[in-house]
Amino acid sequence: MSKTIDTSTLLSVDGERSRTIETDSLEIFASEMEKVKDALPKKIEANPENAEKGLAKLVLTLIELIRKLMEKQAMRRVEAGSLTDEEVERVGETLEKLENKMKELKEIFGLKDEELNINLGPLGDLL
Amino acid sequence: MRLYTYAIIDSTGGVEESINGLFEALVYNIPYRDIGIVVSDLDPQVQIKTEESILKHEEVVEALMDRFTVLPMRLYTVFSGKEDMLLKVKDHYEDFIENLDRVRGKCEYGIKVIWAGNVIKERIINAHKNESASAQPEQSGAKFVKEKFEKYKIDKEFEEEADRCIAIVDSFLNRLASEKELEKLKTDNLLLSAAYLVDKEKSDDFKKAFEELKSSGGDLKFMLSGPWPAYNFITLSRSAAWAIGSPTTAFWPGDGKFGGLDILGK
Repeated sequence: MSKTIDTSTLLSVDGERSRTIETDSLEIFASEMEKVKDALPKKIEANPENAEKGLAKLVLTLIELIRKLMEKQAMRRVEAGSLTDEEVERVGETLEKLENKMKELKEIFGLKDEELNINLGPLGDLL
Repeated sequence: MRLYTYAIIDSTGGVEESINGLFEALVYNIPYRDIGIVVSDLDPQVQIKTEESILKHEEVVEALMDRFTVLPMRLYTVFSGKEDMLLKVKDHYEDFIENLDRVRGKCEYGIKVIWAGNVIKERIINAHKNESASAQPEQSGAKFVKEKFEKYKIDKEFEEEADRCIAIVDSFLNRLASEKELEKLKTDNLLLSAAYLVDKEKSDDFKKAFEELKSSGGDLKFMLSGPWPAYNFITLSRSAAWAIGSPTTAFWPGDGKFGGLDILGK
């Protein structure tokens, strides 16, 4: 059954100015929006106490962005069939090394994947 | 005395009815050329970043929306005084005029659509498992590429499926909107998060179109909200630091974001 929520009760606005939220599945939407809230880009917290970590986060976020773009570009070339077997092997080795190096660096600076997740606007989230 | 700002409006006159803003301070309009900035006085000592402030800010903006064309300010936009505020407004005056003209007589509706993304992705993954039962490459580089390529194909197919569904949803509503902002797959199950800018006169038609969409939507789940001020359709021409909010709709429970003008670049 469709549930219409008159936001005049939520926003203490008098009856004439109500806005509505109408849905059949309020709990499901609330649950998905919680996930979105957790995934929203965080600010880089740079202060004297954690300047090093803040800078590492900034730098690694940029590196991760470039790495992901390189990976995506490689996949497009694989899809297009424009790489020889030798090139596939070389690209694969390079991408694997980059991925492993990123894991190392994240560990060194105590950063989790989600901390490097930035919103790229129309392209969605980085991770 | 600090000034808390709620919105830019297309009027230099007073806010005729009594509207109380944050901490029950009376809201009033400060004119600048042919526009106005709606503010209330703010005690320097108070903490404003509370849930109550968010609701009060929204309440004021919506009260204004019924009588004026409104460009909502971002939450917690505070100036040290009138002069400070008018200097900033002067910087963005042309943008404000352009935006007021664009959104005059219009309001925003938010649409969210949930689909069984997890189930669809599982189906795609299984289909690909069956397809790619070929022998694993021996060399590690090629093996790495194969794994990444499998994931790439699955993600791509998932997105294409999402695009098809979104196009169908949009086809019900698009003709009634002058502008739209669509954001797909904020999570695997949140297929679409959209804002539509609709002439106020077409509000009833838009809601009717939404009902038609709902009744033909199959397993999709829908949420409509509004009418809101045009949070997602206001843009400033200066650098990205001054840009408006995000493609997300402004005021959703749990969204944690609030659109509106950000002339302080925060």
